[in-house]
Amino acid sequence: MTVIFQLNGEDCRFDGDPMTPLVDILRQERFLTGTKAVCREGFCGACTVHVDDEAVPSCLKPIGLVQGCAVTTIEGLSSGNQALHPLQANLEAADAVQCGMCFPGMVMSLSAFVRDNPHASRPEIKAAMVGNICRCTGYERIVDAVADRLEQARKAGQSVGGIHV
Amino acid sequence: MAPGVERSFTAASTLEEAMAARRQGAAVLAGGTWMMRDPRRGVDLPEAVVALHRIPALSKVEIEPDHVVIGAAVTHAVLGRALHAAGFEGLLTAAENAANPGIRRVATVGGNLCALDFAAADLPPALLVCEATVELETFEGPKLIGISDFLKDRHALLAEAIVTRIHLRRDLVASAHIRLPLRKAGDYPVAIVSLAVDKDKRCRIAVGSVEPVARRWTALEQAMAADSASAFDPERTAGLALEHNDFQGRDGKEAEGWYRRQVLAPLVKRGVAALLKTGRLV
Repeated sequence: MTVIFQLNGEDCRFDGDPMTPLVDILRQERFLTGTKAVCREGFCGACTVHVDDEAVPSCLKPIGLVQGCAVTTIEGLSSGNQALHPLQANLEAADAVQCGMCFPGMVMSLSAFVRDNPHASRPEIKAAMVGNICRCTGYERIVDAVADRLEQARKAGQSVGGIHV
Repeated sequence: MAPGVERSFTAASTLEEAMAARRQGAAVLAGGTWMMRDPRRGVDLPEAVVALHRIPALSKVEIEPDHVVIGAAVTHAVLGRALHAAGFEGLLTAAENAANPGIRRVATVGGNLCALDFAAADLPPALLVCEATVELETFEGPKLIGISDFLKDRHALLAEAIVTRIHLRRDLVASAHIRLPLRKAGDYPVAIVSLAVDKDKRCRIAVGSVEPVARRWTALEQAMAADSASAFDPERTAGLALEHNDFQGRDGKEAEGWYRRQVLAPLVKRGVAALLKTGRLV
């Protein structure tokens, strides 16, 4: 089966089994290895990407369901040559990254969350992270960084997640 | 799947198209969060699937003054955003707390009801106390069936049908959904107790995750009805729950059967307290 979708803003075509998990196509065919395949059961969140702007686990998304959708991975959030996504900048400033395995998924979940919840409280930030497991247990710094991002955005009166993904 | 065989994938845009694929043996694919884990359970993915996400009528939540209709392809997240109607607090809690946020954006109401081996599903007990009616599209046409009968017989029913909608009467005064995961982070609940009170102040109670299939706790409902002194007293109702516990707990990864059974009385106590907190039982 042929599946056509947008991947980080570019047209993408896949020919093969429509039940192939999206994460495998990202990593094995597109070499976008920022998206991690860890538990493959939707529990850990390391494979989180945006599909039509919603943060979802790519391990449980058959590519057949992605036909016509727009997919954004961690690589599409900021190319490396551009400024970081504001949330990434806050996470870097808070020195929140530890081993890095959970982090792409964490950023993808939380970048959508801050975009949609500019007035989120600390418990709401924690609730949004329920599906992203960090075995280094660096949660508090991550929560701090998200809270900082929201506060800075409120002070600046800007819409959170200034870089539209 | 045999090497060289191409899997059939139909993204149906009408119910007729979906039923045509179903007649040819295609399995129904909803959000994929259950089916995509088949290989990890040692089960091959189906050779033919039909996806329902492009059928507009199945992706709507309709809230009317006397009833609610939920499309089978509605996700938990969409249901959680849409279902702000008095009396459905329990179902709302179930939709907003199942699994984790990423799964809730993908997993559907229909998928949750049709995952035959998923004992810890949140929606079945919540829908049992709503006395929901399940609408099926069968090879002979549409069919309505009560949620209790659907859950009991779904293995046979789903062999030649697709769940299309869930119908709810708006006859509840208040409801609650109490779940006990071992950790907050997305664990399957060890036990689930859903409670609802109708306009005649009758209490409905259902239990999920303790036995393989969720069911109403009729022994406790009858005991509460017969014991006017209990009148939604959390302690007294928990005592009745202990006395009328007729569940056979299932052993599983998260907990053994005896434990699932044992936590029911405290969960009932929490549930009655949650009902009282709504302030609508006076």
